[in-house]
Amino acid sequence: MSLAEPATLPVATSAAPRLHVPKRLVGRIKASLPAYLLLLPSLVFLVLFTYGAMGRVLIDALYQRATPKAPVRFVGLDNIAAVLADPAFSSAVVNNLVYAVGTAIPSIGLALLFALTLSRTHAVSSALRAALFLPVLIPMVAASALFMFIFLPNVGLLDYYIGRLLPVLPNWLGDPDIALYAIMIITIWKNAGYYMLFFLAGLQAVPEDVMEAAHLDGAGPYQRLRHIILPELKPTFLFVIVIAILNAVTQVDHVFVMTQGGPSNSTNLVLFYIYQQAVEHYDVGKASAATLLTLAALMGLTALSFRTMANREGGP
Amino acid sequence: MLFSRRLVFGLAMASSLAATLAGALAVPAMAEGPTEIDLFFPVPVDGKLARDMGTLIKEFNDGHPDIKATAVYTGSYDDTLIKTRAAIKAGKPPSAVIMSANFLLDMQIENELTNLDALIKADGTTKEQFLGQFFPALQGNAVINRSVYGVPFHNSTPLLYINADKAKEAGLDPAKPPQTWAELTDWAKKLTKREGDKVTQWGIAIPCAYDYCGWMMETLTMSNGGRYYNEEFGGEVYYDTPSMLGALSWWNDLVYKHKVHAPGATPGPAVSTSFISGNAAMMMLSTGSLTYVRDNAKFNYKVAFIPRNVRNAVPIGGASLIVPAGLEADKQKAAWTLIKWMTSPEKSAWWSRATGYFAPNMAAYKTPEMVDFLNKNPDAKTAVEQLDVAKPWFATYKTVPVRKTLEDEVMLVLNGKKQPKEALAAAQKAADETLKPYNAETSLKLP
Repeated sequence: MSLAEPATLPVATSAAPRLHVPKRLVGRIKASLPAYLLLLPSLVFLVLFTYGAMGRVLIDALYQRATPKAPVRFVGLDNIAAVLADPAFSSAVVNNLVYAVGTAIPSIGLALLFALTLSRTHAVSSALRAALFLPVLIPMVAASALFMFIFLPNVGLLDYYIGRLLPVLPNWLGDPDIALYAIMIITIWKNAGYYMLFFLAGLQAVPEDVMEAAHLDGAGPYQRLRHIILPELKPTFLFVIVIAILNAVTQVDHVFVMTQGGPSNSTNLVLFYIYQQAVEHYDVGKASAATLLTLAALMGLTALSFRTMANREGGP
Repeated sequence: MLFSRRLVFGLAMASSLAATLAGALAVPAMAEGPTEIDLFFPVPVDGKLARDMGTLIKEFNDGHPDIKATAVYTGSYDDTLIKTRAAIKAGKPPSAVIMSANFLLDMQIENELTNLDALIKADGTTKEQFLGQFFPALQGNAVINRSVYGVPFHNSTPLLYINADKAKEAGLDPAKPPQTWAELTDWAKKLTKREGDKVTQWGIAIPCAYDYCGWMMETLTMSNGGRYYNEEFGGEVYYDTPSMLGALSWWNDLVYKHKVHAPGATPGPAVSTSFISGNAAMMMLSTGSLTYVRDNAKFNYKVAFIPRNVRNAVPIGGASLIVPAGLEADKQKAAWTLIKWMTSPEKSAWWSRATGYFAPNMAAYKTPEMVDFLNKNPDAKTAVEQLDVAKPWFATYKTVPVRKTLEDEVMLVLNGKKQPKEALAAAQKAADETLKPYNAETSLKLP
């Protein structure tokens, strides 16, 4: 639609400059009306299933009932205060921070390493790329079920291979000190291949002539990486970091399948906490309040990172 | 011209979408002919159950032309509760649900269940006659405030599984399984094999993951003379008591004093795999795993009652059929017909053989097929015999969070991070906090 517009509009405006402002406005609306009409179906669904649901969460977060048989009543910000005061929520936030940092850094590092190694296309690198991308194609739930058997204490694949080396076999998912890290390994395994794709795309954008010039000037591989490739990849980095953090908050399938937040809440993440409040505690008010807090944090984070990104791209 | 053609196309798209939407909404209009009902059913153990359920419902529909039942698979027990609650909230409850037996009280408190007394009365039977068909142990979870809210469908109890070959190897007689905690401790010690500090074969494995852990704690507490919760009132649990302290201390001793049980919390599937692979010589697990063990064990095994310290007692597990609140009368009646058919002796027996759960209807065990089956599989008989000492499954206001407060602490004990006494005190405190709103409007609401 927008592609067709400029061809007709400039002609019309140049014929009658500034004199017929209302007419121009009407003309513009007329011109973009089809666009809005075409957007309408998606808008209906967006309102029904996205904004509608968000609005509902906002309303639900403001209501609570005192006892099981009592009617729900307006409580203002009490639900949010209750969530913030809940030790289970603060431990879920801490777990989530550890989880976000502990999965984002290794998976991005690995992804960059893979991308740099496999940036040139030939038969071997294509095969390796496909192999590294494979975990992305496996649904998280299926992957979790697989890893449950890998992590089985004493008889699992992992213990089978490293069991000989350790005096006492760890109970990977049953020990609160280890469980979160076991969960993190799965996330890194699953996401590194995905982020590799972005870095591969980013590497295509590194200008050939600059690289050649550097080569001629005698810059070594490390210098080229440090002074050309990494600066060129900055936007990719920012984008991948945002995606990685969003994933750390929104992907909890494996927690659901493997540990249910246990043992003793050691793998409880924020989204799973919300699920527990809504389903196990049947406390819609508190669940909605926790959802709002999470949404606010995520939106703030995304806005911040995209602003930084825009600044960097606009700058020198 | 280009615009208008695109516009027409866009409008056509939009209107076709709208038509589809309207069509989807218009389907549940009044339908003549058979009463259509939905049955929500979970699959807690393995995928084969879904196929068996299809067979069962098809047979029902063939025999009842005025009713058209559809079986809707709804995931685990917990998922089934979520989906049922969502459907009730949306104003379109399913007509019948196979619900985890210990969720009934919580649903009744939330006004989500149909009281079945009127339907029983309409059939011309009394409550006593109706409940009399089922094993007495199962009635506790189906009756709330002397009204019937659920019909037992498939049930289980915990069992002690023994690797008979390994027992013989260790000079123990599998025909005389351990009957007390002292004997079990002794067996577990003899069945544990070590190479230096490293254990290559554990004497016993007891599962501890959310849901299973609470059930095993109830098992151990009951065989230690305790109750775990107040069977008559949903606002009390007995965590910080001598009977539970003894139970948790013994479990702790098996891990850290006798060193015959692997440390840490081990989920059910890990326990059964460990037993099947010979890594654990004994395990405590549900009767629901009996079919799995029978099909996969490459050694002779033996099942026995859960040993006692004070008395023989175990909780039941499994699910009941319920009718959600807010249904039209004709659907309610059709659901009731389905429920009575599914819990009849013949169907109950068939389902039991297909799944490994025991049949709640006592008459099921008098059917010729079942007598035959038990003669061929005497291990299935042990599960039924243990029902004599079985008691209800814990059910309180907010059953799951109240259970979880205990499980979190037990997991800390099994990981050597807390001592039983302080763990139980903490669990009791957290549980009391969760139960507070319910007590505020029942036991503590004073004139």
